[in-house]
Amino acid sequence: MTDKRSNPPSFALWLLRHTASDDWNEALTGDLIETFRDRQSRWWFWGQVLFASTLGALETIRRRWYFFCYAITGAVTPYIFEYSNVLVRVWPFSSHWSDLPWPLSQFVLEMGLPAIAASMSLLVLSVGLLIEGSFRWAYLLRTFIITLILISAVHFSIDLFPWLLRPIPGDQHRKSLIVPGIFVVLLLGSTYLLAAWLGCPSIEHPHKRERQIAEPQ
Amino acid sequence: MELMVLLVVVRLGDNAYGVPISKELLILAEREVSLGSIYAALGRLESKGFVSSSLGEPTPERGGRAKQYFRVTNSGVQALKLTRVTLTRLWNDVPLLQ
Repeated sequence: MTDKRSNPPSFALWLLRHTASDDWNEALTGDLIETFRDRQSRWWFWGQVLFASTLGALETIRRRWYFFCYAITGAVTPYIFEYSNVLVRVWPFSSHWSDLPWPLSQFVLEMGLPAIAASMSLLVLSVGLLIEGSFRWAYLLRTFIITLILISAVHFSIDLFPWLLRPIPGDQHRKSLIVPGIFVVLLLGSTYLLAAWLGCPSIEHPHKRERQIAEPQ
Repeated sequence: MELMVLLVVVRLGDNAYGVPISKELLILAEREVSLGSIYAALGRLESKGFVSSSLGEPTPERGGRAKQYFRVTNSGVQALKLTRVTLTRLWNDVPLLQ
């Protein structure tokens, strides 16, 4: 027989399942439920869950450091290109895009810089995967495609909100966002992070595999 | 923290999982340590090879979740002995604490 008092907060359980380390997620959840039903309050349960989630996030950063390097590189590279004018020397089409036939000109204008930034960031991801011994060409290809899809989605969805854009003086073809640059960097970094997460699948913990073998569906 | 958790695992023997470990730490060290911190310490000890773990049976009072039992390994025992010798030597060299 269970009542509200004996059941821990379901949102806290959901948060724990998605944020705590995979290595001890199930055991920790069981321990928290056991202790909660024995003697503890909902406030205690939430405190434990938030602390475990923070530890889980730090553990994830430690394990997937190369995802974060990929995201940082991807978020910062367009700005480096923009301010140092390197792109003009590396890729001459960037300044002569209007001479190209449509739709290539449109692609170069809209997606040329993100595609080059994603390619360069992919080098960082490759090095990280090699160091961690998880390198697969399929991971790189998948991450690259997902990155371009997500960046395109973000890039073109901004056109739905024209009041967010303002003209750039001296450039009649481009507009810039009115939000501070740091938000754009964070949005771009999050997009790269999500792409790496989806593109490079996680390695399951041995205990989970053992359990799946022992308990067939 | 890792030393305390390792010692508690040795003391608890076959019943060393999260809940009794946290209770032992509360009684012996008079410290309420979060279960997340205990598992993080156990994870580090396991990666160093000082403890090994195995899953128990899922039980209804734990919401159908299994217990993860920990057991100290031979290298864990050796590390504890070495730490004890080192700490004793260090304590002996501090006259104010004699």
